[in-house]
Amino acid sequence: MKSVVTRMTVQTRAETEMINVTDNVKLAVTESGVRQGVAYVTTMHTTTGITVNECLPDVEDDIIGMLERLAPAEDLSYRHARFLPSDGGMAVNSHCHQRAAILGPQVAFPIELGELVLGGRQTIYFVELDGPLLRNFVIHMIGDENE
Amino acid sequence: MIDMHVHPMHIAELWEEDPDLGDAVDGPFGLHGKPTPLENFLVQLEYSKIGHAVLLPLDCTAAHNCVVVRNEALSRLVADHAELIGFASVDPNQADAPKRLRHAVEELGLSGLKLDPSLQVFDIDDRKLAYPVYAACVELDIPLVMHCGLSWAPEGRSSRAQPISLEPVVHQFPELRVVIAHCGFPWVEDALLLALKYEHVYLDTAIIYAGTPADSVRRVLAERIGVDIIDRALHHKLVFGSNYPRVDFKRMVGAVKALGLHPWLEERVFHQNAADLLGLKDGRP
Repeated sequence: MKSVVTRMTVQTRAETEMINVTDNVKLAVTESGVRQGVAYVTTMHTTTGITVNECLPDVEDDIIGMLERLAPAEDLSYRHARFLPSDGGMAVNSHCHQRAAILGPQVAFPIELGELVLGGRQTIYFVELDGPLLRNFVIHMIGDENE
Repeated sequence: MIDMHVHPMHIAELWEEDPDLGDAVDGPFGLHGKPTPLENFLVQLEYSKIGHAVLLPLDCTAAHNCVVVRNEALSRLVADHAELIGFASVDPNQADAPKRLRHAVEELGLSGLKLDPSLQVFDIDDRKLAYPVYAACVELDIPLVMHCGLSWAPEGRSSRAQPISLEPVVHQFPELRVVIAHCGFPWVEDALLLALKYEHVYLDTAIIYAGTPADSVRRVLAERIGVDIIDRALHHKLVFGSNYPRVDFKRMVGAVKALGLHPWLEERVFHQNAADLLGLKDGRP
């Protein structure tokens, strides 16, 4: 059994942004040496998400629009709007946390013959929900080196 | 857009230069989290359409044996970045503070002074310690940003930062250009009094205490002071300040925009008032 964790950093450039990381994941799988197993892609934050969808600008726009409808920034009822002593700053991004909860923090795909098994229209996205910020995610390959 | 109230202490390049900075930021200043590269800071400024950021260090040598970003390091940081404007900080508890300020301005090229009586532990109206520093500001013709009101720093004592303590100071130094940070919350009316009466007293928008930035900015500027008062009497006295990184640039920009000020007034608050205060020419003080 082999386990390889690859750490990735991304400088996001907008408040909400869908970043295609499919090639990063494919490369990490190839370089890991894992021939049969699973690859997990996991964000290291609570106001970002990892999701899979079709790589079309209109699909991306509609997903962002859905998140904005379901967790609007302007809702005055959010309780997460206060000074947070553990940060030393204001915690005023409840809608970002909610959008992250909708998307989820992780996706997983099989590894077969040393390559990621991905559907033809599937794209892996790192989704920024409170940017722009410097962000991190990890790709964890686990499995056998033999076929 | 000019942000008159930015704390630069989470810029990684400054941490690399000063091994003690992390403890100072995490300890007395009470800002927790990891530093990130300057590039990340610049991206955030650009996204929020902030063309100039005034970076505020803080010398707490006497009270807490630390300096939250040294003048020399800040000078080097801003030298290569036209969008960054560095202020100095000196500790009024040190007898040579005026001399240090002169060095910071004339030799290091810094453009103003930041003081925080709550964290540096001095009395705003201390004639022996603080007045020589104010006199130096006037001589050097630089603006002063004075923390007033609520201090979120764990070691800060807000009672030392009551804006009304500035009254004898601005009376004694009528040419002193001073920004009362945070509108002096919760002593907003005292800060307003001074800004209304004294020609060179300004207020900034870095108002965060509870709720969202839009909530706190609205309650102080629209409900306690009044947009009509800002329009009529403070249109040249209110400057945009975010208090980053205690709150994001983008949210404080949004909070001020949410006031729905007349475009003419909004432009003054976001840009022209600070440009006048800083004496910006060709984008530099």
